[in-house]
Amino acid sequence: MAVDWQLVAFFVLSAFEIIGSILVVINKRLVRAAFWLAMTLVTIGAIYLLFLSEFVFLIQIIVYAGAVPVLFVFGVMLTRRKIMDEPPREGSA
Amino acid sequence: MSAPLIPNLFDVCKVLTGAIVWVVQQIIYAVAVLIPPLRGLGDWLGSDPVITILTWLIAVTVIVVWATLVNLLTMMWVERKLYSRLQDRYGIMISIWSLPFWPFNRVRRPTHRGTGYLQNVADGVKLLQKENITPRNADAAMFHISPVLIASSTLMIFAALPWSSGFYVANLPLGILFILAAFSLAPLGILIAGWSANNKYTLVGGLRAAAMLMAYEIPMILAVIALVFFTGSLDPIEIVRQQDRVLFALGPIGIPAWYAFTPQFLGFLVFSVAMMAEMERIPFDIPEAEAELVEGWTTEYSGMRFGLVFGFKWLRMIAGAALIAILYLGGWSGPVFATLDVGGIPVPILPEEVWFLLKIYLISAVFVWISWSVPRVRIDQILNIGWKRLIPYSLLAILVAAGFRVLG
Repeated sequence: MAVDWQLVAFFVLSAFEIIGSILVVINKRLVRAAFWLAMTLVTIGAIYLLFLSEFVFLIQIIVYAGAVPVLFVFGVMLTRRKIMDEPPREGSA
Repeated sequence: MSAPLIPNLFDVCKVLTGAIVWVVQQIIYAVAVLIPPLRGLGDWLGSDPVITILTWLIAVTVIVVWATLVNLLTMMWVERKLYSRLQDRYGIMISIWSLPFWPFNRVRRPTHRGTGYLQNVADGVKLLQKENITPRNADAAMFHISPVLIASSTLMIFAALPWSSGFYVANLPLGILFILAAFSLAPLGILIAGWSANNKYTLVGGLRAAAMLMAYEIPMILAVIALVFFTGSLDPIEIVRQQDRVLFALGPIGIPAWYAFTPQFLGFLVFSVAMMAEMERIPFDIPEAEAELVEGWTTEYSGMRFGLVFGFKWLRMIAGAALIAILYLGGWSGPVFATLDVGGIPVPILPEEVWFLLKIYLISAVFVWISWSVPRVRIDQILNIGWKRLIPYSLLAILVAAGFRVLG
């Protein structure tokens, strides 16, 4: 049976991307969220590579791998670290 | 015009693979006399796709071994010796005769008057034996992912970095961009390492690395953009080929057309300074300022993980020096004075690899010289250098390059 390896690669990358982007949102630790964001962006780049556009792939990595640490710094500076670890208060939703 | 010593790494490795597979095949065929179905395995091993895949694996292995076991160790030794000499001392001098077992432990051999080349190997063995400690409150998964991220992205540089016009794994048309992309992945690893160790020194180091990132990454890319106005290509081999000619003759000496001698000089300066920040050499090593933060973002690593994150800095230094040599200093171009005739094949006595290694080590020696002569800058100073000096200069370099391009 002939396997369409491009399609397989596309589905694997898509699965990584969807799982990664869900983990960005639901993760409570900031550094893990940043890591999953980086992974999501790199897998999006890999899908560009699958479409044979190497230039967009490399620019994606340069731009977003550089942007994620900066985003993370702003995240650290502008949020309270304890905000997620605190138990939910009485009466709040 | 010189010629490479290895005309094509893939073909060289294919000969090697063929020899290895042939030996394995003979063994399998000998066993197949007893177990007949094994004959098919031997035939499969000799088939073309298998040989090609094995050849790729061997080519990658050759480059990794060449970069880490040969050049990384040599570079560490050069740095340790050179800065010791700059500080008016001898540096590492343990010789191989100090090993405590038989062929080495002869009496009346001077044990501490060698060149110390194998000291780094000894340090590596020592680090391998040490315990790998994870801090109790650390984010263990992130803490262990970070060295992998740093090491793999650093090794990825060497997939696209050519050592001569024939000694490379992959010749990408966008090679320079690939190398820059692989370079830019490591700061993410540094940040993750700094945050996940749950230590205030590592955290300060990691956040300094992230703050510094913006100050040098932008001018570096802008300097490359200024260069691309002239080259019209991002292929390292093509860029070096363009520099392999004489710009003008100064008496009997022909000045080569390296891009550092053209209006790209400003870009060359900006790129070199940004590259020093990228490889965390001392004037810009604020993420691991060992006088202020214990060891910066590497404080909590121990054992071979520390060896990896510490030693791979020199690998990044080799890659950075190689990138400067390729972009601005003519790469592997250089005169070949004579050729030897070995079995009908002309072998240059100064092949391209020799010129390239010479340039890499000279640039690295200059970096070592600078970094052990000047004090470390503060975090606000590097932001000032990056935003107020390097970015305007690199924009000026783009303007000059565009002007020369328009005027011809």
